Amino acid sequence: MVTKRPRLSATDRHASEKPVTAPGHARAAGPPKPLAHVYVDIFKNNPMPMWIFDLETLRILAVNEAAVVHYGYSEAEFLAMTIKDIRAAEDAANLERFLATQRPALKKAGIWKHRKRDGSFIDVEIVSHELVWAGRKARLVSSNDITERLQAEARILEINANLETLVRERTQQLESVNQELEAFSYSVSHDLRAPLRVIDGFSQALVEDYAKLLEGNGSKYLARIRATTQRMGLLIDDLLTLARISRRNVKRVPVDMSALAAEVVKELREKDPERHVEVRIQPGLKADADRGLVKIALDNLIGNAWKFTSKTAGARIEVGGEHRDGTQVFHVQDNGAGFEMQYANKLFGAFQRLHAESDFTGTGIGLATVQRIVSLHQGRVWAEGEAGRGATFSFTLEQGETDE
Amino acid sequence: MNDQTILLVEDSPDDVDLTMRALEKNNISNRIVVCPDGAVALAYLHERSKDGTHYVNPLPQVVLLDLKLPKVDGLEVLKTVRAHQRTTLLPVVVLTSSKEEKDMVESYSLGANSYVRKPVSFEEFLEAVRQLGLYWLLLNQSPPPTDND
Repeated sequence: MVTKRPRLSATDRHASEKPVTAPGHARAAGPPKPLAHVYVDIFKNNPMPMWIFDLETLRILAVNEAAVVHYGYSEAEFLAMTIKDIRAAEDAANLERFLATQRPALKKAGIWKHRKRDGSFIDVEIVSHELVWAGRKARLVSSNDITERLQAEARILEINANLETLVRERTQQLESVNQELEAFSYSVSHDLRAPLRVIDGFSQALVEDYAKLLEGNGSKYLARIRATTQRMGLLIDDLLTLARISRRNVKRVPVDMSALAAEVVKELREKDPERHVEVRIQPGLKADADRGLVKIALDNLIGNAWKFTSKTAGARIEVGGEHRDGTQVFHVQDNGAGFEMQYANKLFGAFQRLHAESDFTGTGIGLATVQRIVSLHQGRVWAEGEAGRGATFSFTLEQGETDE
Repeated sequence: MNDQTILLVEDSPDDVDLTMRALEKNNISNRIVVCPDGAVALAYLHERSKDGTHYVNPLPQVVLLDLKLPKVDGLEVLKTVRAHQRTTLLPVVVLTSSKEEKDMVESYSLGANSYVRKPVSFEEFLEAVRQLGLYWLLLNQSPPPTDND
């Protein structure tokens, strides 16, 4: 088939410039034909190191230029060696076993270590094919130096192993930190509240049993101690909620947000029956979210709206939503005390408060909790407001198309 | 209310005083036995006379059990109480500072009859104790003794 290619004539001429030097070649190939020169050239000028060895004596019968350049032996040195000589001594047995057992014509001989003239070893991938050379049964060998590739692979393996070790270490660290956090929360829950109960209890006992002995502001001071104790209790509870949320896995289920909001409002009305707040909830709001977590978020957002409209005549709260850029956005809007937009970025930090405790009570943990819940859902939360005119809190519970 | 005993398992003397005060304020005049740790509580409940024929102490009407206790903690006390034939049906109210879900779930799975979180506010605590007294000392019918007490 090859002989029919027209371009062979050009190669032919080129081939004739380089005489064949392989001993006995003429005998093996019969009377020299131009095409034979081409084939010899394909061997001699092949960019891959190649040689031919005698299957019986293992002597190298011919070698190409790439092999000479790559291995460092001269052609004469090559021709004086057997294929055992370019291998490490410990490979000799392997080689013999290999030569004895596998004899398909075309053979991937696998990866071997070869010794260069300077004594260094290279890893090579060997492919070979049987042929008759100068009347001898021989094999044509092509050698591909993969030393660097193997080194690179080894480096990658090492890096991967290191990475895995690192990941294991970090995971362990994280687990131990989580355990500590859990132990800490547990301890806070048990141990920090207990003294508060005692302070409150005995303050109350003083008021009850020794009211007559308390002169001047005595009773008032005790009342203040008790109020502060309550507040500290609330703080601890809110912090615990925040900590508990952080270690929780999000379990998404279909959530009827309208119904959930109505539930939150019902609870607020029960707790605060004297308040008159007009609440409007858009029907049919749905989300795929962790119901328990979203309930806590709505508790905080609607609870805030409820609280910050406490001094507003005609208090109004609206819960609604819309599709924006392919994402469901929910809003909780009120016409209460609002806030100045310049502080909007401070709203979601733990313990950040924009109102005096005397105006509106609170721990400053609620919105941090909301943000944590929203983040756990890969969503976003933001606020718009104006002092004295109300606030709108918006959030999503899924990753938006424009979010990264 | 009646002459039945209440077993209060509580290690903090402050909490003991406040609980006694709350019981007193609610006119609950039952005998209160205080055990400062879980081991003492279990000994009280399961101790037999020297000849082994009867238990030294009468079964209380109800046990008020704190969870965080020295030596043997509340959950272990609960486990042992349920495992022991004499106390397997004894009403146990867990009375604790913790509102950890874990504690609640474990308490109920170990057979607590009730789980009450001690509020910070003494007034709320008074109300909790009032309701506990009303329910466990008056309203609730105790299970029949499981042995010849």
